[in-house]
Amino acid sequence: MYRLSTKEESQLKWTALNIRKKILRMIRAGKGGHVGGAMSSVEIVTALYFNLMNSDPQNPQWRERDRFVLSAGHKCLVLYAALAEKGYFDESILDTYGDLGSKIPGHPDMHKLPGVETNTGALGHGLSIAGGMALGLKMDHLDSKVYVLMGDGEIEEGSNWEAAAACSHYGLDTILVFIDRNFLQISGPTSEVMNYEPLKERWEAFGWGVREVDGHNLSEIIGNAKEIPFKEGRPSIILANSVKGKGLSFAEGKVGYHFWNATPEELEIAKEDLDLVERELTR
Amino acid sequence: MTEMKDPRKTLGEALIEVAEKNDRVIALSADSYGGSGLGPFQARFPEKLLEFGVMEQGIMGFASGLATTGMIPFVVAITPFVTSRPFEMFRNDIGYMRTNVKVVGRCSGLTYSTLGPTHYSLEDVALVRAIPDVVILSPGDPVEIKKAVHAAAEVTGPMYLRIGNQPLPVYFGENHPFQIGKGVMMRDGSDVTIIGTGFALHRAYQAALLLEDVGIHARVINIHTIRPLDTELILQAGRETGKIVTVEEHYIVGGLGSAIAELLSVEHPIPMRMVGVPHQYAENGPYEELLGLYGLQPHQIAETVRAFIQ
Repeated sequence: MYRLSTKEESQLKWTALNIRKKILRMIRAGKGGHVGGAMSSVEIVTALYFNLMNSDPQNPQWRERDRFVLSAGHKCLVLYAALAEKGYFDESILDTYGDLGSKIPGHPDMHKLPGVETNTGALGHGLSIAGGMALGLKMDHLDSKVYVLMGDGEIEEGSNWEAAAACSHYGLDTILVFIDRNFLQISGPTSEVMNYEPLKERWEAFGWGVREVDGHNLSEIIGNAKEIPFKEGRPSIILANSVKGKGLSFAEGKVGYHFWNATPEELEIAKEDLDLVERELTR
Repeated sequence: MTEMKDPRKTLGEALIEVAEKNDRVIALSADSYGGSGLGPFQARFPEKLLEFGVMEQGIMGFASGLATTGMIPFVVAITPFVTSRPFEMFRNDIGYMRTNVKVVGRCSGLTYSTLGPTHYSLEDVALVRAIPDVVILSPGDPVEIKKAVHAAAEVTGPMYLRIGNQPLPVYFGENHPFQIGKGVMMRDGSDVTIIGTGFALHRAYQAALLLEDVGIHARVINIHTIRPLDTELILQAGRETGKIVTVEEHYIVGGLGSAIAELLSVEHPIPMRMVGVPHQYAENGPYEELLGLYGLQPHQIAETVRAFIQ
């Protein structure tokens, strides 16, 4: 099985920690935000921007870049944090979260911030857009990859299954979707709100190559992502099993932290939680 | 006898012309390219006709994604299935993202006649008007349909193009100037201005001829671009004739008449009438009879105008 070197893994864990700190920084500025799904997808986004993707922060519209479509637009805090960490914009912008006219709204706007590829927020749009990108790139004989991050509650939207069929029909093997499968949505466990199981079999039935990983294990995420397409001539999907609110002791696995109205006390605990991770990484 | 042309056939011919000029032009179909007049396009450019089946939400996102790579996608399908059905995809993926997608609704208005309200499109202009920045083209004859398709391919930005399915008289010559946002005065007159759009335009024009027979001099303006609206031409007509009647095959709610009322009420309030389909689920039946039921035949439009100004 693929394993990152100790050095690579350590560097990526530091990056993931920095991203979590930046998420907290925005929450502090805006006094709240969609924290649960942002925290659960930190390792996926870290793997993408700091290992898997060909991108250039100095030339965000570089034609041959790999694309990242954040279909679950409410997870935007993790995207903003990663883009800032990567150097797409000055990180002081992170302190404007929640301000009038901020370049980092509660759902991303590609016309406000370099590096953002799509305007998402309404669920079930990203996969179709990504499919169009992959199809256009293919027609231009470019081999750029198109990565998509979806929430597991999001896949209840029927429009995703139109897109799933079309991506498979057109043989879009440059697409890799991550489902941040934290098993929770606003109203409760996904299995109770609207059961989507058997998830693996559903995607397989649509012709996709499917793998399952620990969504917080960077070696597993990267090792598998490097092997696309999982099925010749077909799109690929990774079901990344994760913990909603990962990294915040009071929020992990709790349904109430989809959106977090942060109290000063909780913010203090959150800081201590991340400081603890930092001490462990420093050791 | 005026030559009559099928608007969908004209659309298909125009798309072949623009694809021959610009290799980024592609067409997207939702299991409907034959009925959209794109059979010859598919035969000429099989690799540029992308079929999505009855996938009327996702097709909009695909078009948006294709446009981000520099393609110029024309999404062509039955009007309600590219406007009301995927409204959020139109608004977010095309409007809000400002992608260079051209959405073409065909068989608009009442033109599906016997098939009834699920297939009519009497609110499409209202819906697209509610999305900021999308150009709305409503060409009035086959020559304008061709010119509108060329203009859509040449000008960058999201657009909506509305056509019907009934044979349409050729009114304009090949040298007819067509510019997005510029209305056309087809006939001068001093008693009243009739403003028509799209496939209702020729009936508005015929109504003006009938009015001339009874001594009423009606100006006729063709508004082939509902957004951006030619405010200058409309305000000038309002100042010079003092009364305006709008004619469209659309609900009187939210269409051309509403757009002009929004303008006049602020800039130059004058008496106005709107001819269109009343806001109800329209009847089904033969097309010409439906038009008669809702007062959209030329003699009925003329009578509405006469009663209004006298």
